[in-house]
Amino acid sequence: MTTSGISRRGALRMFGIGALGLAGAGVLSACAPSGAGSTTNGGDPKSKDFDFSSWSLNEEAAKPSIEKIIAAWEKSQNSKIRAVSYPYNEYLSQLTLKLGGGETTGAVHLDIAWLAAMAQMGKLADLGPVAGKGGYTDVALNSGTYDGTQYGLPWNTGSIGVIANSKLLAKAGIKEHPTTIEEFEAALRELKGLGGGVVPYAAATKVAQLKDIFPWMQTFGCKLLDNGKVTIGDDASIDAVTWYKKLHDDKLIAADVDRFDARALFGQGKAAFYDDAIIGKGVTSAQSKDKTLADAMQPMERPVLKAGDTPQALLWGGVIAIVKGKGQDAATEFALHTTTDLATTSRYFTERALPPSTTAGLAAPEVAKDTFSMEWTSKITKTATGSPFWQFAQNSQIEEAVAKQVQAVLVGTAKPKDAMKQAGEEVAAFIKR
Amino acid sequence: MTSTTSTPLSAVDRPRSSATRAGGSTRRRMRKDLLRSRIAAWSAVVVIGAFGLLPVYWLLATALSTPESTFQFPPKLIPTDLTLDNFTALADNDQLIKYMVNSLIVASITAVLSVVVATYMGYSFSKFRYRGRRSLMHLVLASQMFPQALLLVTLYTVFSSFGMLNTYTALVLSFTTFTMPLCVWMLKGIFDTIPDALLEAASIDGASRWRTLHSIVAPLAAPGMVAAGLFAFVRGWNDFIFALTLADKEKQTLPPGLVSTYIGEFQTSWPQLMAASLVVSIPVVVAFMFLQRYLVGGMTAGSVKS
Repeated sequence: MTTSGISRRGALRMFGIGALGLAGAGVLSACAPSGAGSTTNGGDPKSKDFDFSSWSLNEEAAKPSIEKIIAAWEKSQNSKIRAVSYPYNEYLSQLTLKLGGGETTGAVHLDIAWLAAMAQMGKLADLGPVAGKGGYTDVALNSGTYDGTQYGLPWNTGSIGVIANSKLLAKAGIKEHPTTIEEFEAALRELKGLGGGVVPYAAATKVAQLKDIFPWMQTFGCKLLDNGKVTIGDDASIDAVTWYKKLHDDKLIAADVDRFDARALFGQGKAAFYDDAIIGKGVTSAQSKDKTLADAMQPMERPVLKAGDTPQALLWGGVIAIVKGKGQDAATEFALHTTTDLATTSRYFTERALPPSTTAGLAAPEVAKDTFSMEWTSKITKTATGSPFWQFAQNSQIEEAVAKQVQAVLVGTAKPKDAMKQAGEEVAAFIKR
Repeated sequence: MTSTTSTPLSAVDRPRSSATRAGGSTRRRMRKDLLRSRIAAWSAVVVIGAFGLLPVYWLLATALSTPESTFQFPPKLIPTDLTLDNFTALADNDQLIKYMVNSLIVASITAVLSVVVATYMGYSFSKFRYRGRRSLMHLVLASQMFPQALLLVTLYTVFSSFGMLNTYTALVLSFTTFTMPLCVWMLKGIFDTIPDALLEAASIDGASRWRTLHSIVAPLAAPGMVAAGLFAFVRGWNDFIFALTLADKEKQTLPPGLVSTYIGEFQTSWPQLMAASLVVSIPVVVAFMFLQRYLVGGMTAGSVKS
């Protein structure tokens, strides 16, 4: 049956032309082989040419330094490295897809928080035998280990800790860094007394960065995960959030602050403390009009609940992992060279202020003379630990679930006890999946 | 004047005067009401306009600011340290120009392909009656409802196995998968408004079906086709995740290119990012300016059935 006197055959022909594109994609999709199932990404492991994936290859501050390392390697080994890059925020998802699809080979720069998720895909090489040759520090070596296997050679090892503004502390008459929670709170109140819109502690209060609450929970004695059991919801976590809420209500910390806001406040001399990675000094001072700010920035051990406790900090850094398959051997040598060659690590430190991961690298004159970095390493990184949730692919959902509950407490829509119980249940559910 | 004012009002005048006063006060009241409603309308326009334009203003203000003043807290509504450095830096960035060329190529081809394919499909859905037509129509619409991530993984696997990753073809085909369903439905609505009698007349005059579609229907549906093409172009121009995943740096388009260039792990170059965003939005704005009359016509063409 037709309108306009057109036959069914004609109609179908018209439709057919149009549907060609749509159907094509579907047919191709049905024919496509699955990328999963293989434990290597194929190719000749002895190939001298390989890929190097790093988010830093996009970034203005890092790109030239890494390109120099790549160029030097290519020249010395007469090989070709294909540089691959994705934006930092998309890196994990892109790499997961491409590693699974067999598109990623060679050396892969990873944030230590992502190592477990990548290692679980079964495509990364065991670097245990190579790591022994590197002279890495223990804390650095641990940052590249998952489930007892060395999957990453540590490139830069640091931590996320508290940075203090010595000028503001002096203005408030605070001569020494507070070491206990009690002293810290007293210092915050002194700083609040300065007026002028000073936010004593630019702590994270936005969901995006509220994972910063974890080291505080640990400070109060919460283990977060104990023998596979989620402990968020215990008394320690409730105490930590209750204290955080008190700081919020007393305006010792401000509402709606994330890392960017904290840096902006600190950069303008309106915050005395904030949490950041070691690289925060360079980033924050660069965006500040006060050119003397960098000299006033000091790493501070996170205050402890009672004297003698171990200060808590989150381990932070990057490792280079190797994908099994094409170029595996050469990529491994490249990773070892990049992370341990003294001249390379020292130059990289000079250009990027990222601490090396080897004992020799840390002792190099260029590094040793940098007081801020050395203090950071000895005060903060020394006791830093990785998050127990990094081993789960749902890490970001876990962090978000806890952050949302903490924020509910801060804005007064939930009680700390109920919120932490809820957070604990949600995290446990994520872990079971 | 004096006599007029001093003369008492006659009995006849009084009611008239009272009526005049009443009429005057009614008019005044009406004028006041009109003024009030105008003020309310203008206030609404200003508020909605400010709501819509503030992000554009903020984009421009940030693009003209120095990095230091961008991070001022509290932020200043009117920037003081103005600079054009962020714009001049764009001209020196060859990679950005490459991203822009890539965007123009893939968005334009996506628009053309979407319109061509959707024209045939829409015409078929609109003018022919055959078994399974409704199901096919709904199937096309349903394909729009798949989560993008699901399509992305499938397309990635397909393109990877056929060695088509990092090609314009992969980008165009992937963009077309999500522009086409809506284009088909838009054009079907437009073809519905073209009377069947016109097609029958063409047939009686000896026009083939092919000729009828191309010489009679297509010109009539041109505004709708332009609107559909514009929609597909903008969708292709703005896509981030498909372009990031399916193409490498050589073939990547502007959205992932801008993010890669300006948003880093620790820092975002907001002033440069805003300057680049402002510049790269110009082609879309220009396209809208030239084609808006078609766009309005095309969007409303299928809304009323003759």
